[in-house]
Amino acid sequence: MEYGTIEREIHVDASPDIVFEVISTPQHLREWWPDEAVIEPVPGAIGELVFGDRADPEAHVAAMTVVEVDPPRRFSFRWIHPADEVARPGNSLLVTFDLTPSGSGTALRMTEVGFREMGWEVAVLEHEYQDHVSGWDHFVPRLAAYFDRLVASR
Amino acid sequence: MSVAVDDHLWSAIGDPTRRRLLDLLLAEGTGTATSLSARLPVTRQAVAKHLVVLDRVGLVHVTPQGREMQYRIDEAQLARAVAQLADVGATWDARLRRIKAIAEAIQRTKQTKETN
Repeated sequence: MEYGTIEREIHVDASPDIVFEVISTPQHLREWWPDEAVIEPVPGAIGELVFGDRADPEAHVAAMTVVEVDPPRRFSFRWIHPADEVARPGNSLLVTFDLTPSGSGTALRMTEVGFREMGWEVAVLEHEYQDHVSGWDHFVPRLAAYFDRLVASR
Repeated sequence: MSVAVDDHLWSAIGDPTRRRLLDLLLAEGTGTATSLSARLPVTRQAVAKHLVVLDRVGLVHVTPQGREMQYRIDEAQLARAVAQLADVGATWDARLRRIKAIAEAIQRTKQTKETN
């Protein structure tokens, strides 16, 4: 397994066409991810994901660049790169959705890569965290107790 | 949201030796570069450098103890690091659940129309 990757797979009881539409069009994107999405599902298109109310100075705006559009099989994009830079490995995370027909529905697989390139070791940590390997066998149970204490003290 | 992940905190905790140091400090409460290096296959100097990195991101507290520095874990900062870690995966789980719900609702609506 590539440590710099987060992978998830779920089954959706809907056709690949419908799932593709939900993951790639702004009107659906804003229902499952940001509060607002400005994006054309066309390779190379540059758009934005707005978290919060755009008028609010606290709102977070993330840049997004569409990489691959292959309906109803694959949709991928890079995001969080600086708005004035071209998205590339090292300044962004690459999210890929792969859709495969499965029974009467769709197997939807999501991968997010680029944490390592971004200097984040998050994927390594998540892998170890979930598998409870080596030192984390000791580490994780104790953390649960720390959390409880922290929450209790608030 | 993964955007909020703190780069420095992550790279500090991403190193296996530093994670082992955190483990030892959690188990033993406090430690010095000397006491910790006795438990690890690395030199005292290397341990001291790693402890400086952990200190810089606030994961440990330092107290002078005679000629040495004594280290202990900053629990709040460690909890914060782990919360961020759990967050990235959990956030995608939540997004995918929403995708599933939306797509399945559309599919049901479509089927209802077709059968009517």
